[in-house]
Amino acid sequence: MVPQNEIIPIRIKFKKYGSLMYVSHLDTAKTMQRIMLRAGIDIWYTEGFNPQPKIVFAVPLPVGVESECEFMDIKINSYMSCEEIASRLSANFPDEMKIIDVYVPEVKLKNIVYIDYEMEITSPNVGENTANEIEELLSKDVYVIKKSKGTEKEINVRDYIRSVSVKNEDGRIKIYTVLCGGGDKNINPELVIEAIRSNTNLLNSSPVEEYYSIMRKRMLCEDLTEFK
Amino acid sequence: MQNLSTILKSVSKPGRYTGGEYGQIIKDKKSVDLRVAFCFPDTYEIGMSNLGVRILYGALNEMDGVWCERVYAPWPDMEEKMREFSIPLFALESKDAIKDFDIIATSLQYELCYTTAVNMIDLAGLPIFAKDRGEDSPVLLAGGPCAYNAEPVADFYDIFSIGEGEEALPELCSLMQKMKKDGTYTKSAFLREASHLKGFYVPSLYNVEYNEDGTIKCFEPKYDDVPKRVEKRIVEDLNTSFFPTKPVMPFIETVHDRIMLETFRGCIRGCRFCQAGMVFRPVREKNAEVLNRQAKEIFKNTGYNEISLTSLSISDYSCLESATDLLLEWTNPCKVNLSLPSLRADSFTKELMEKVSSVRQSGLTFAPEAGTQRLRDAINKNLYESDLMNAVRLAFEGGKSLVKLYFMNGLPTETYEDIEGIAVLAKHVVDEFYKMPVRPKKPVSVTVSVSCFVPKPHTPFQWEPQNSLEELCDKQHFLGTKIADRRIRYNWHEARVSRLEAVFSKGDRRLSKAIAYAVGQGMRFDAWDEYFDYDKWMDVFEKCGIDPSFYANRRIGYDEILPWDVIDIGVSKSFLISESKKAYENKTTPNCKEKCSGCGANKLGGDVTWCPKMK
Repeated sequence: MVPQNEIIPIRIKFKKYGSLMYVSHLDTAKTMQRIMLRAGIDIWYTEGFNPQPKIVFAVPLPVGVESECEFMDIKINSYMSCEEIASRLSANFPDEMKIIDVYVPEVKLKNIVYIDYEMEITSPNVGENTANEIEELLSKDVYVIKKSKGTEKEINVRDYIRSVSVKNEDGRIKIYTVLCGGGDKNINPELVIEAIRSNTNLLNSSPVEEYYSIMRKRMLCEDLTEFK
Repeated sequence: MQNLSTILKSVSKPGRYTGGEYGQIIKDKKSVDLRVAFCFPDTYEIGMSNLGVRILYGALNEMDGVWCERVYAPWPDMEEKMREFSIPLFALESKDAIKDFDIIATSLQYELCYTTAVNMIDLAGLPIFAKDRGEDSPVLLAGGPCAYNAEPVADFYDIFSIGEGEEALPELCSLMQKMKKDGTYTKSAFLREASHLKGFYVPSLYNVEYNEDGTIKCFEPKYDDVPKRVEKRIVEDLNTSFFPTKPVMPFIETVHDRIMLETFRGCIRGCRFCQAGMVFRPVREKNAEVLNRQAKEIFKNTGYNEISLTSLSISDYSCLESATDLLLEWTNPCKVNLSLPSLRADSFTKELMEKVSSVRQSGLTFAPEAGTQRLRDAINKNLYESDLMNAVRLAFEGGKSLVKLYFMNGLPTETYEDIEGIAVLAKHVVDEFYKMPVRPKKPVSVTVSVSCFVPKPHTPFQWEPQNSLEELCDKQHFLGTKIADRRIRYNWHEARVSRLEAVFSKGDRRLSKAIAYAVGQGMRFDAWDEYFDYDKWMDVFEKCGIDPSFYANRRIGYDEILPWDVIDIGVSKSFLISESKKAYENKTTPNCKEKCSGCGANKLGGDVTWCPKMK
């Protein structure tokens, strides 16, 4: 039961895909603030000199990655049913963003430890053994350079892979992988692509000939059960 | 567009090219018989902030059968990829190539966008010169403030929209729809017909001849049915005209990421250097109720938390008090901030400051423009030092300690005494702070920001030469030596940018050669520091046999035919001449509210103006 007349925590699960993969985390956050205002959700504001509607996102989604499992937490000042919130938000979402679920959360966002990704590589260089080669590559130590805020650091991609399975589906490479995605330890899935790029003959020519996509499928807890 | 989607991963700020924003307009292509690509020759962030484009995008999409989409200039990294993978310039909504549209419209907001604008034609896959494009190519239309002197870009576009477009552009589209329907459409027949519509200029229908000294010998229509002069369009009543209340909501941060609410058009003041003050005459106001209704609607449709009341001079808005009262009733509880840019120092009141005190700004900006009363009179600024001191005192009382002052160097009749006056005035502001018995705890800071005068068409100073580059730099340096107080910060504009602006703002058709050549040399985004290259421009002019001084630094005679004489802004040449002469006598002209000075703009009509009605 939802308690009435007090600040109520609300979790919103949504997907973000298509051209919206190019909208950065910060821009998404700002967009959400405006969506809340448009939708007339009585959202709780931070206190202080410059009050802002409080919206907490689970794990920032890197630019260029699509997702079927984004989570954000808000608090509302007055009761509104989850169905009503969902329908109001849906009406104000841009086309390539969709509500999946709205509910009162039972566990904290920091319970997220892993993220399940699905990647697809399209390339004329895909051969019979390519899938096996990639699976093997990602099962061993494989080093890439991680660039962030002007610093460069070498990391071992394997340290961040919980599980990986690579298949050849109709001549395309499909990678199903669970990566570290928690607050303490996480990796940008682009670095997995980078590991493949620098150790195989894939994705080294023009982006028109060869291309890839990355989709976030599920967020997982420590015990690999799906986060809710 | 798989190509596009993979390429976007390798360019900066891909959100510029994806569209898909809340509020974008998507139409069913089957129900559309006229497609318009609205181009803005600068980045997405700049273009999305332009209120004029927002208005026209909304107004055109209101029309049945017309679908208007947005196009911004790709940044050079994106352009490189587009050329590499043969992706022609496309519209954000449909991602369709704009070369297949019916009309490609371009908003020309400032002169230094010309290379970017022409490059966009090339990126679309079309020949840049109008004469080289066939009958089956789209009609290229341009408008915006630069169209008041369209000549430097006249050879690239088929037709120009002169003045306000929200009624004119739908008329043009209707004409094209009609001609395409009844089978009479050819591009040339359409352009000829469009030249009869009010507010449209078709440059190819005019003949220009030059004298040996480079001045214009004659500028005449080629046919009797083509008007000798094109009168600009205005919207007569802002209370009933179209105003968009459901704007497109950008994902990425834009320059003006807020509600922009237009309060009135035109300006009562008549500063002699100011083009906007002349070309947007007569003044027309929106009433407070309409303004408040639009504000509420936009807030509901956007979720923006700031409203900016826009105009050329907000304190001259006669409904300012009632409008802000109405707005504050709901903006305060909804946590929406109100901002009032373009405040004049002489009408800055305590009440006004308290109304906007919720805005988180620690400073105020005023534009005295000149340092001495003599020069302020010559440019008709109609502002006294006592007005400025009253305003800053109020600001200091209100807890603000930052004051920004805008000035101009190189104004006609300026002397070094006037320049020194800027330093003196700034010092007086600092002194005023310390005279206050109770003042903010934070130290006072006065920023003096000085731009260079650029003589503009259709102003009383249109005949004036610009100072030479050496003179401008010398003046900037001189002022620096006169400012010794560390509480005064001094910054100045790049004089070389202003010189190039002067060349293009007063240019004629012969400049198109230089623009085309510059585009071929890869020049674009001239307004961006990282791409502005003065020496390269001088080289372009030299190679094209053009003397930039002819345009920027020559005093023009009152009787000379001007390239922009073909455009009638409503204000008469005799008024501009009389204003020009008064400048040299340091005589001011009263503002439109005090007394009509007979500029002539009231022949254009307009409700809710200060003009006496024409008989």
